[in-house]
Amino acid sequence: MRISTSGAFQQGLSMMLKLQSALDHTQKQVTTGRRHLTPSDDPFAAARSLNLRESMSRLDQFDRNSTMATNRLGYEESALQSVNNVLQRVRELALQANNATQSDESRGPIVVEMRQHVDALLQLANEKDGNGRYIFAGNQDATAPVTQNGTTFDYHGDQGQRLIRIGENRQIADGDAGSAVFFRIRNGNGSFDVAAATGNSGTGITTAGSVVDAAQYDGGDYTVRFLDPGNYEVVDSAGAVVSSGTFETGDTISFRGIEFSIGGDPETNDEFAVNSSRYQDIFTTVQNLADSIDDPIHDDVERAAMNNRINSGILGIDQALGTVLDVRTQVGSRLSAIESQADSNSAFVLGLEETLDGIEALDYADALSKLSIQMTMLEAAQQSFVKTRNLSLFNYL
Amino acid sequence: MPNILSTGLSGMLAFQRAIEMTGHNIANANTPGYSRQVAEFVARDGQNMGNGYVGGGTEVTTIKRIYDRMMGEQLLTSTTGQSRFSVLDSLASRVDNLLADPDTALNSGLQGFFNSMQDLANDPASIPARRVMLGEAEGVAQRFIALDGRLGEMDDGVNSRIKESVANVNQLATAIADVNEQITFAQGGTGQPPNDLLDRRDLLLRRLSEQVSVTTATQDDGSINVFIGSGQPLVAGAEAYKLGVRGGEFDPTRAEVVYEGTSGPAALNSGLTGGALGGLQDFRAQILDPARGSLDETALALAARFNEQHASGMDLTGEMGAQFFGISDPTVLHSSSNTGAGTAVVAIDDVAALTGTEYVLEYDGADYALHNAATGASIAMTGSGSGADPFIAGGIRVTVGGAPAAGDRISIHPAGGAAGSVRTLVNEPRAVAMASPVRVQSSVANFGDAHTGSVEVTDRDDPDLLSTVVIEFTSADTYSIDGAGALSYTSGDTIDINGVSFDISGTPAAGDQFVVEPNLGASGDNSNGLLLADIQTVGILDGGTVSINENYGQLVAAVGGSTHQIKSNLEAQNVILANAEDAQLSVSGVNLDEEAANLIRYQQAYQAAAQMITVANSLFDSLLAATRR
Repeated sequence: MRISTSGAFQQGLSMMLKLQSALDHTQKQVTTGRRHLTPSDDPFAAARSLNLRESMSRLDQFDRNSTMATNRLGYEESALQSVNNVLQRVRELALQANNATQSDESRGPIVVEMRQHVDALLQLANEKDGNGRYIFAGNQDATAPVTQNGTTFDYHGDQGQRLIRIGENRQIADGDAGSAVFFRIRNGNGSFDVAAATGNSGTGITTAGSVVDAAQYDGGDYTVRFLDPGNYEVVDSAGAVVSSGTFETGDTISFRGIEFSIGGDPETNDEFAVNSSRYQDIFTTVQNLADSIDDPIHDDVERAAMNNRINSGILGIDQALGTVLDVRTQVGSRLSAIESQADSNSAFVLGLEETLDGIEALDYADALSKLSIQMTMLEAAQQSFVKTRNLSLFNYL
Repeated sequence: MPNILSTGLSGMLAFQRAIEMTGHNIANANTPGYSRQVAEFVARDGQNMGNGYVGGGTEVTTIKRIYDRMMGEQLLTSTTGQSRFSVLDSLASRVDNLLADPDTALNSGLQGFFNSMQDLANDPASIPARRVMLGEAEGVAQRFIALDGRLGEMDDGVNSRIKESVANVNQLATAIADVNEQITFAQGGTGQPPNDLLDRRDLLLRRLSEQVSVTTATQDDGSINVFIGSGQPLVAGAEAYKLGVRGGEFDPTRAEVVYEGTSGPAALNSGLTGGALGGLQDFRAQILDPARGSLDETALALAARFNEQHASGMDLTGEMGAQFFGISDPTVLHSSSNTGAGTAVVAIDDVAALTGTEYVLEYDGADYALHNAATGASIAMTGSGSGADPFIAGGIRVTVGGAPAAGDRISIHPAGGAAGSVRTLVNEPRAVAMASPVRVQSSVANFGDAHTGSVEVTDRDDPDLLSTVVIEFTSADTYSIDGAGALSYTSGDTIDINGVSFDISGTPAAGDQFVVEPNLGASGDNSNGLLLADIQTVGILDGGTVSINENYGQLVAAVGGSTHQIKSNLEAQNVILANAEDAQLSVSGVNLDEEAANLIRYQQAYQAAAQMITVANSLFDSLLAATRR
């Protein structure tokens, strides 16, 4: 074919330009480490990597969320641990005070310590997290949740529980409201409470008792009344006799599916109230306990009354310990759920990274060999261009 | 003897001409559009000498340009094709790069925003976290505005390039008409081809093909007629017609090309296929308009959905959430040819029902009809168009008014201008509505173990949303509301009340109370915040199947895909053009070696012819010497 001089020149030039632009592309790939520089290099991969990056950014965020939730639950757990310790100590003190060898004087320091524990519990209930938010206030986390008002304790939080997203399909509560931890605790044995009447003239001491037949127990309020030291009757809230029997010390009294025993010697007209369990907050329980221990004792009747009240207080402490344990178990299971979710998240991130790598990352060996081939080609094109363009018949004229 | 002289002389004259041509070729070796020229030698007719015809030397009959018409036409076609894709590629690549640039891309902004949303949900009372989230929201708005601004600049660029291109076409058409006139004159006078004028016209035609696709027809007088579009004459002999630019039917800033023939301006709708003009129009229709539309839709989806959820929450001060993002109303444009004074007010009815379509609302004198602006397909509307009963179709609500005339047209772009107008309206950190507006609390004295699930706002506009209601169980399976009624209860029942709903499960005791009340002071509540954060992945567009990020991903993939296709088309067109140029140059282009050889050839021939004069001279001298004696 006939070659025109300017055509051949143009062709050589455009070939070099083309090689240069290819070289530039490869060089950019090598410097950025990315296979695709713009979406048009591979539109499908571009869209896919946008999705993958979004997923990865969300997983990173879940990580942050998990850390936050773990911190919060950590604060809660350590507060609950302290509450548990305080309650254990209170229980020990109560048992100590219940001992018959104690005198009014020897119980004095016990009362002082116990009253301090009320304050300690109040402080723990009003504990704040690292950001200065009350842990046990529900969603009202800017308000101190528990205050003492004379002899009563008020809850100012709500029952809200904040959920934190720790996985694409998983949310977890990062705390528990103080109402559930400190306030909604049933007294007595959790089903019913037996209390000796304040005017009792005998030395009858009741045990906590239990529900033996849940089907029969109706949750009503009853009164056990001693007609004389050897006979008793049980009346319901309307005054109707439900049950009656003879009594010797240590006998078990049972009716309507529940039973408990009474020790000591009740006198005629002594009464024991059997009520379904009411809610009593931890602070009141401990405070009542301290008040009971503080009462001076002059005779066995007063000692029995104190024993009854201390027993009831210990029951309350046990219920509170049970609640605290229950909440701590939940906190623990949340923490382990976070951990397992974090594991699965990081496994997922790993998988995503691999996929993204496959889509985006440059194969350096491949790119560098391409780069050197392209450089060689460009060099050859330049040299041959100069050499061939120098060939001219005019050189010989 | 005189024969020998004149024969030699004819050779000398002819070769002198040929050497001149070689010089002309060498001089124009790098002139664009130049076709090499050669002198055509013809032997002079012989003279009958009785004993045969004796030749009388040579003469140059004409100067021919070496040119192949078919190749010339191929070159025009491939120039048009290459120029179209070259313009398309340079513009599409800019959009492509814009979307790839991490500093401008939307996805990282959206991710940052939603991550800050989750950070805030982790600690809803934190004012710093609220500020960060507001900052990120502002960042997202800025990215939308910046992206839309860059695309808008490109739109302006396309408009001004269309104007430039049209001016170029008009100038070239005039120049071609001028050269036509000169060629006709030159050819008519001498009968010889005015080669350099022909080259010049071919070059002008090529320049014209770079702007727009043309067809040509050669006339007997040597002039060429040029047609564009669907056969409108641009050049007829020495006469040139013009193209013009005018505003669009609805949008006066949108440059559209018209043909200004003898019967007034006429729209050249789909007629302009190739060249820069074709490329500019293709870019606008295939890449820029869809990209801006998609970006607008993404902005609208984010703003509308986020606003809706934000308004369903309660902020730190106990107020219901305010409008969070502000965006402009849908774009409504009236046709420039409307004669009536009808109005249309358009609002978004349902984001999920939006289809990304632009509409034209047409009044036929009695009724309104809605059409798809691109396809013309008719779209069914419900309603009567009044304020109380607006037209509803494709996710928009249209209220018409005024006094329209028959044939009046109104263009509706539901998401129009959304991306360019996104802004955050909430600036006060406390005004971010993270909490649920209503809470349900069980009374601390409750005996039973019944408890409530999370509260869902079903109707945030309920006037009694924030009123306090007491639900009291009168027995384990009946309850009253504010002391009234005896509604039956089974565990797991959903209670709907004053625009909220929640579940109650478990066994209540008689006298147990649940209080539904405004969620005041709940600085730690993140219920609404979690729902706001969920907007990142929830399907919003296309009937609730496409999330914000997916919609943006579709835009990136669509632009990337188009650009990818354009690039490979451009490569093909480059090869086709290079081949056509090569083919044309291999015929018409100057080869300097060839010219050098010719130079030697003609020089030698000239010297030989000159030698003839010497021979004739010495012959004459011999004759004189012979007769002197």
